[in-house]
Amino acid sequence: MAPKEEIKKFIVDELLFGNTALLTGDDQSFLQTGVLDSSGLLELITFIENTFGIAVEDDELVPENLDSLDNVEGFIIRKRGRLNSYDPACSFHSAHP
Amino acid sequence: MIQPAASTALIHDFLETSAALYPGHCAVVCDSGRYTYAHINEAANAMAAELLDLGLQRSDPVVVLCKNGFEYIACYYGILKAGGCVVPVNPGFTAPDIASFVRFVQPHSIIVERALLAGLRECADTPSFLMTQKNGDLPGRISAAFKNAGALDEILYRPCPGNPHLAIDAAGGASIIFTSGSTGRPKGVLLSHKNIVANTRSICRYLAITHGDVQMVVLPFTYVMGKSLLNTHIAAGARVVINNQFAFTAAVLRQMEREQVTSFSGVPSTYAQLVTKSPLREYRDRLPWLRYCSQAGGHMARPVKMLLRKLLPPHTNIVVMYGATEASARLTYLEPHRFHEKIESIGKAIPGVVITIRDERGRELPPGKEGELVAQGDNIMMGYYKDPEATGQVLDSFGYHTGDYGYKDEEGFLFISGRRDELVKVSGYRVNIAEIEECILESGLAIECAVVPVTSDLGGAKLLAMASGVGASVSAADLHRYCMEHLPLFKRPKEIVMSKSIPKNINGKIDRDQCRVQLMNQKTTGRSICAA
Repeated sequence: MAPKEEIKKFIVDELLFGNTALLTGDDQSFLQTGVLDSSGLLELITFIENTFGIAVEDDELVPENLDSLDNVEGFIIRKRGRLNSYDPACSFHSAHP
Repeated sequence: MIQPAASTALIHDFLETSAALYPGHCAVVCDSGRYTYAHINEAANAMAAELLDLGLQRSDPVVVLCKNGFEYIACYYGILKAGGCVVPVNPGFTAPDIASFVRFVQPHSIIVERALLAGLRECADTPSFLMTQKNGDLPGRISAAFKNAGALDEILYRPCPGNPHLAIDAAGGASIIFTSGSTGRPKGVLLSHKNIVANTRSICRYLAITHGDVQMVVLPFTYVMGKSLLNTHIAAGARVVINNQFAFTAAVLRQMEREQVTSFSGVPSTYAQLVTKSPLREYRDRLPWLRYCSQAGGHMARPVKMLLRKLLPPHTNIVVMYGATEASARLTYLEPHRFHEKIESIGKAIPGVVITIRDERGRELPPGKEGELVAQGDNIMMGYYKDPEATGQVLDSFGYHTGDYGYKDEEGFLFISGRRDELVKVSGYRVNIAEIEECILESGLAIECAVVPVTSDLGGAKLLAMASGVGASVSAADLHRYCMEHLPLFKRPKEIVMSKSIPKNINGKIDRDQCRVQLMNQKTTGRSICAA
């Protein structure tokens, strides 16, 4: 499943109790449209961290990263890209202890 | 400029005076908009003219269902200028709650943002006037039910006829603020112009709010503390920066830096989030203008206070305050230079307020003796709207009975030992649940927690706790172990449930009723419980 679909499923199943009507668009603001409140946001963050293996840092708690399906997906892709770009360096170090 | 005498001053005089003194000064920053005093005053005048055209009479209630923003502020002062009584309703209330408030006050008009119309779906039988930001696009059922549907945007930008200068009784009702939702009948606190003006002036004085101040507002204006932030800064000709997305704490701090914010205000959960889920630490050198952070809305646990002190810039004061909706907001504050020395104190009465400690027969008690906090001052409410019985239970010749218990020390500093709903008898001992919550937080294992008493199978009370851990690895057993080492048996929660977040009400305060429901539900389903 694509990240966006997984996130959507989590929000609908766990935070909206199956009510799909509230989630109308991929660019819809979660907070402004009442899809999430601050505790819902914390649950979403925990889900993202556990599911996608990334850590959401304190200074990344901004709407541009987390306030819509599009934004969350973009954030995950950026974070993963950054993780992957570190991989060659890691293997370089392990090859030359 | 000659200030009007306190007894005749009206709330909107603050806006009109500041608009005359600083017409071009930016008063409000919200989203991408910046609004000057002249602009806000003109919009408020236009709203007042519209309401008067619609036949608004003195003290007629007008419901405002808007989130914090320019529209809310223009409507708030516009209703007051027209002689009406503002009934702010938090959009976070459920539709049935909103319907019950509307039925209860029978408003002359309802002002609602289009995005929040759904909240009115159960109010369609109220014969009131409705305005929305997009005219002619209302759901049919609501549209048909309301006599006049005007467009808020269009009204607020009409050419301004000047300040209306109506003769308005300063002792008459200016605002009704609801303090509770669907549990029981609605309880509306009725405040006069005199109440709010007196409190606003007192707060401006003790916090030394001036024209140069910039306040970050993350609390709703519909909440009495949010309302105070608005009125005090408008009175001082200062600026409010509105951010309706506090959950994105990094964005809030970034905006505080950019807007050179001088003050920030929150309830305990605001600060719990700020010290655990925000990059505050990295902003220590980036908030040179931040004069103070004020806190009210309930007891803030000592560990949060200490952590906040550590993370804030050294020049930023922490101002602990205490109040009640019934007191137009503020009753006491602790002078920041006594913060460490009197860390558990709520300070002393603010200017214009007298607080006495009294026993159940109304006799004043000496320092050190515990009794109920009773407050007197021009800020004390007129009463509960349409509820003389409830009013009679809290207002008498001694003043307003807060329902909070505590004592004064020899220097006159006030200490709260328990709020009416936080004192409980367990195994014959009187227990203050705030103390237990504080102990759990002292462990450093929990971000937030709520302890609630429930009736035990044996008939007495027993304590259950809900906690959100600092990390996923913190378990209920860890907290039980800590409690066993630090609390006597009768004070230990019998069961602790770990939860990612603690239920809050719409003003960000811990919702104990909801906690109790969730704890009881989890108990029956047996999920993630660890019994002592």
